[in-house]
Amino acid sequence: MPPLAWYALRRVAHGLVTLWFAITITFLLLRLLPGDPATAIASTNMDATMRQELLTKYGLTESLPIQYGKYLVQLVQGNLGTSFSQSEPVSTVLMARLPWTLLLTGSALVVTVAIGIPLGVVAATHAKGALDRIVQVVGVVGQSLFVPSVGIFLLYILGLKLKWFPIGGAHDENVYGIAWYLNVGWHLVLPCASLALVSLGSYVLILRSTLIESLGEDFCVLARAKGTPERIVVWKHGLRNALLPTTTLLGLQLGFMVGGSVLTETIFAYPGVGRAIYESVIRLDFPVLQGAFVLLAATVVAANMITDLAYGLLDPRVRTA
Amino acid sequence: MSIVLADLETEPVGQQESAAGATWYAFRHNPMGLVALGLMLVLVLVGLGAPLIAHYPSGFTSDVLQSPSSLHWFGTDNLGRDIMAEVVWGTRISMTVGFCASLLAVTFGVLIGMLGAYFPRADTALGMVVDLSLSLPVLPLMILVAALAGPSLGTIILVISFFSWPEVARVVRSQALSVVNLPYMDAARVLGGRHRWILRRHLLPAVAPVITVTVVLTASRAVIAEAGLSFLGMGDPSSWSWGRILYESQQSGSMTSDWWTTLFPSAAILLLVVAATLIAIAYNDARNPRSRED
Repeated sequence: MPPLAWYALRRVAHGLVTLWFAITITFLLLRLLPGDPATAIASTNMDATMRQELLTKYGLTESLPIQYGKYLVQLVQGNLGTSFSQSEPVSTVLMARLPWTLLLTGSALVVTVAIGIPLGVVAATHAKGALDRIVQVVGVVGQSLFVPSVGIFLLYILGLKLKWFPIGGAHDENVYGIAWYLNVGWHLVLPCASLALVSLGSYVLILRSTLIESLGEDFCVLARAKGTPERIVVWKHGLRNALLPTTTLLGLQLGFMVGGSVLTETIFAYPGVGRAIYESVIRLDFPVLQGAFVLLAATVVAANMITDLAYGLLDPRVRTA
Repeated sequence: MSIVLADLETEPVGQQESAAGATWYAFRHNPMGLVALGLMLVLVLVGLGAPLIAHYPSGFTSDVLQSPSSLHWFGTDNLGRDIMAEVVWGTRISMTVGFCASLLAVTFGVLIGMLGAYFPRADTALGMVVDLSLSLPVLPLMILVAALAGPSLGTIILVISFFSWPEVARVVRSQALSVVNLPYMDAARVLGGRHRWILRRHLLPAVAPVITVTVVLTASRAVIAEAGLSFLGMGDPSSWSWGRILYESQQSGSMTSDWWTTLFPSAAILLLVVAATLIAIAYNDARNPRSRED
């Protein structure tokens, strides 16, 4: 088998194992914790026969392994159960919201990288200088920001006081065509900025240290000795090699960003999966909470898989590793 | 820090300087680290001395949503409670959660990390569990568990530590891996040392410096996680934390009208996390002889 195909196969298998792990953990947590969903939907001071009926309806009377097996089969079929509060399939509730979360986290990721790379390069090429110090301070502070605080701050200043951007929702009513896309982008600015600001700090710090290391390596020394202009040494030789470990870490950060999107969507009333989590917490709608986690985990796994596969295509070293 | 201080007491730093002594010396001469340490101490003191600084914010008064003044330094919230009192008492809860969750997560993470590095056979399985849990979105999972177990301080601490140990285990494992094959470890084995003895007396001291840093960083992440959970309404409704102040501000709608209800708790979170990060950075710099020179 060619190394690339072998690599792709291994990567997909790894993604599937991660997903299985996420699913199993949720199942175990939900069934083994003291406050299981059975008591949440069917409290003990309920009429005994009614309680039994409810438990049977949600398949909570069977033994654990059988419940687990049924749960897995259902998931493979794309069935995430039925929402307690909306009597609708969880997949219907969440799938309508997933595109918004993808748009939000995706754009925040792009913004983080687009701003993070120049900042990281400036810091690494001016290592120990004043510019480097500034970028480091920005990085440390950025890393320490609390997502809702940033969101509230942006909402208050840019949304309420200056009225530059809308303070909530994903788009206005009765807007169609190209205006709709512009309207969506306009609503996206504040939530996306809050999420990107928080993830920018650690990305810049990581890129800075990897790039400094990579610029000190032999191939960069050689490039300089050949008389290659410093600009090309940095952007072409150094940065390209520094991006690989950075991208892997970005994958780890994606999980954190998805968590941040729950908080951001709550503040900006953004109609994504995160807002659904917030609404379900109030109603103790466990199937939706569980489904939302599985869906978000699947998103992160898929995104990581795609990044790694793309890297396998671009960088031959990855395939053999 | 406690490890460094304990070492200082047993070996006086004099002519022959110990590694811990050199670290502490370098740390003391780094203004950034000292300021951060001072800040952290102030926050700890505020948390400990909360009853001396402000009355416990409860009930309601008629001074609703007053902007900051000499009477209410941080203003009042929608029920007329003093926000400074809320932040002060919140310091106590937020730091308790951070400290307890960090202690639990670090204990467990260090154990798993050391065992993984020391027993290669267990390493594959442990490493996989750690890798898998690191790549999952943790906050939605924490919300799910906290919602199931019901909001209380104990739940929050357990939930946060349960999802924080993999990070600690990863860091400790990679540090321990660089030590397990060194000659002194082989010597300990040749001497016929039991596994427990080797792990405690030889491996643990080698990873101790990493533990110091992770305790601080894990605690600050735990504070952020607690604030996130409380902000979503998963906090303990009977105690004040920084996240709960923000939650109440959002629920009552004063978040969008009265800036002081959100600015001060936000600043407290930022202050704590920045201080923790700077202490970790300064400690790492001080420990590294190469960065110590400049």
